[in-house]
Amino acid sequence: MNVLIVEDEKGLALEVDEFLSHEGFTVEHARTKKSAEEKIFVNNYDFILLDLGLPDGDGFDLLKMLKGLDKREDAVIILTARGAVDDRVSGLEQGADDYLAKPFSLSELLARMHAITRRKHRLESNDISIKGLKINIQNRTVMFNDERINLTKKEFEILNYLVLNKNRVISRTNLTEHVWGDVLEINSDSNFVDVHVKNLRKKLSQFIPIDWFETVRSIGYRINI
Amino acid sequence: MKLQVKLALYNTLTKVAIILFTGLFILLSIEKISYNHIEMRLQNDEREILRSLSSKEISGYLSTQKVYTDYNILKEEFISIKPVEYKQVLHPSGRFTTEQREIDHNIQDYRVLSHRFNFDNHTYMLEIGVAIESVEELKSIIKKFTIVVLIIALVLTLVSDLVFTKFLLAPFYQIIDRKLIKVNDPMNFDYEKIKTTTQDFELLDDSISSLMKKISNLFILEKQFIANVSHELLTPISIISSRLENILLHEELSEGSENKMHASLKTLNRLKAIINSLLLISKVENNQYAKADMVMIAAVVMEIREELEDRIDEKQLIFTNNLKYIYSIQGNRPLMHTLLFNIINNSIKYNNPGGNITISDELNDDVYTITIADTGAGMEKKQIESAFNRFEKLDTDEKESYGLGLAIVKSITTFHGISIKINSVKGEGTSVTLIFNTPIPVQ
Repeated sequence: MNVLIVEDEKGLALEVDEFLSHEGFTVEHARTKKSAEEKIFVNNYDFILLDLGLPDGDGFDLLKMLKGLDKREDAVIILTARGAVDDRVSGLEQGADDYLAKPFSLSELLARMHAITRRKHRLESNDISIKGLKINIQNRTVMFNDERINLTKKEFEILNYLVLNKNRVISRTNLTEHVWGDVLEINSDSNFVDVHVKNLRKKLSQFIPIDWFETVRSIGYRINI
Repeated sequence: MKLQVKLALYNTLTKVAIILFTGLFILLSIEKISYNHIEMRLQNDEREILRSLSSKEISGYLSTQKVYTDYNILKEEFISIKPVEYKQVLHPSGRFTTEQREIDHNIQDYRVLSHRFNFDNHTYMLEIGVAIESVEELKSIIKKFTIVVLIIALVLTLVSDLVFTKFLLAPFYQIIDRKLIKVNDPMNFDYEKIKTTTQDFELLDDSISSLMKKISNLFILEKQFIANVSHELLTPISIISSRLENILLHEELSEGSENKMHASLKTLNRLKAIINSLLLISKVENNQYAKADMVMIAAVVMEIREELEDRIDEKQLIFTNNLKYIYSIQGNRPLMHTLLFNIINNSIKYNNPGGNITISDELNDDVYTITIADTGAGMEKKQIESAFNRFEKLDTDEKESYGLGLAIVKSITTFHGISIKINSVKGEGTSVTLIFNTPIPVQ
């Protein structure tokens, strides 16, 4: 899948590039509104990561231009430091698929991109299989040999996020922010994520050994596949 | 006291003083003038009598009757001559006294001229009196007149002063009302001049306008600053955090470095939370949010309860929702959510395991109040006073507290015109009360 990063901050664009390339995406850059316009006009992208504050204009204009083009299904994720609620609302109203306020975590970006992919392309198989577990994201269920494992909404969300970011340590902070959202002053250092993870592991271990579900001491969790 | 009243009072007092003074002065001088007049007449009479003493008529009368008395019909004047002890040397002139005399069973006040004189080897006392009732009458008339004039002048000056100063001060109150009281936001300041011919008020008007201009310029600067902060600080944080995340992808990293990376990410997250909180406060204080939503308080509380269920369960708290009313307020929903979230979150954070959180409400005369009470650590009086200050942290076991939660609460309540009260007893618990003053009909 190909991604266009419209971002004037070179450092950030390069980091996002590195991360997404590592995940198997093909990445292109545009630093100005003008060059982004040209690229969008010429190519189809699966994703456009759009910064609103560009040196030569507003990112919203690009969004409008894109929506004016025929037969385009480019998914747009707005990445901005403005963070205002109004921006978020008008961004989504104008057809952006998602909105991430800077600073965002790359694993969160990846999760959002996966969610959009599933929504847009209605993947034939919504199931992800790991270690004999079948995770159905559409129905939000986890099955083991046709037997359903009863998970709460949050437990499912945690498992899904860790599986999506497999083989990577996900910190409690990151996990909390993903599951509970970007709530101000929520106590991200508290161990109440741990309670959910503990319950999740207990439920899973009734079906299969869970040595692949690793607790990384004092940091967070990792699912090794 | 109002300036208008003060000025009127001052004018009245000075007028009273002037009238009293002139009244007294007139009174005293009338007395003096009329006495002088009377005395001159008496002296004339005396000379007349003494000249006529030589006439046979009186001398004969004196030698037979010993005492001579005469008065006119209305007893306004009298004259009497009676013999007294003989004295060789006499003072040449008489003296004046004011005395009461009974003449023909009629007591009156008289101005009396007494004069001793020698006649025919006898000493006689001559007394000529003139009734001074007329003078006293005049005095009392003047007194009454003075009082009447005083009262009339008093009322007239009070009324006229009040009316005039009211007229005079009208532009002043207009300035206060339009340029100070009704100004909530320096950005929407009305620079139109208030009409007045008083230079002082013009000066006041101009000074306020120029002050507001300065303030609104500062506001614009602050808004720009906020926008800059959000971009210039959050973007670099974003770069560092992405960079750290990418470094963490390298498998050759030692465990120690990996831990440090994660710790740094956590610190960055904290930095982000602080900046976002400060941005939120500034934006709220700068009225950069719309109040376009009808926010149903009870629904927001339910929503927050669901969001925080894990934390409530974790501490085994008993959460009681006693909300009886469906009350909505015109405001900003995300902000109202943050407001109630922070208060309820605090009541969880500072609660003891197994404690209580009770949310109740009341509606009296269109004033809606909601109270969030907990059985937690509580605060001392001093702590309550400083609770709304930025970066004020209370004694807490929780490691990550930025001390901005209640500062955010304060700015959101001010933004929506909600009053907030904290009651707390150290060791027993805290209750936070929100009072919605703006009456909005209950649906």
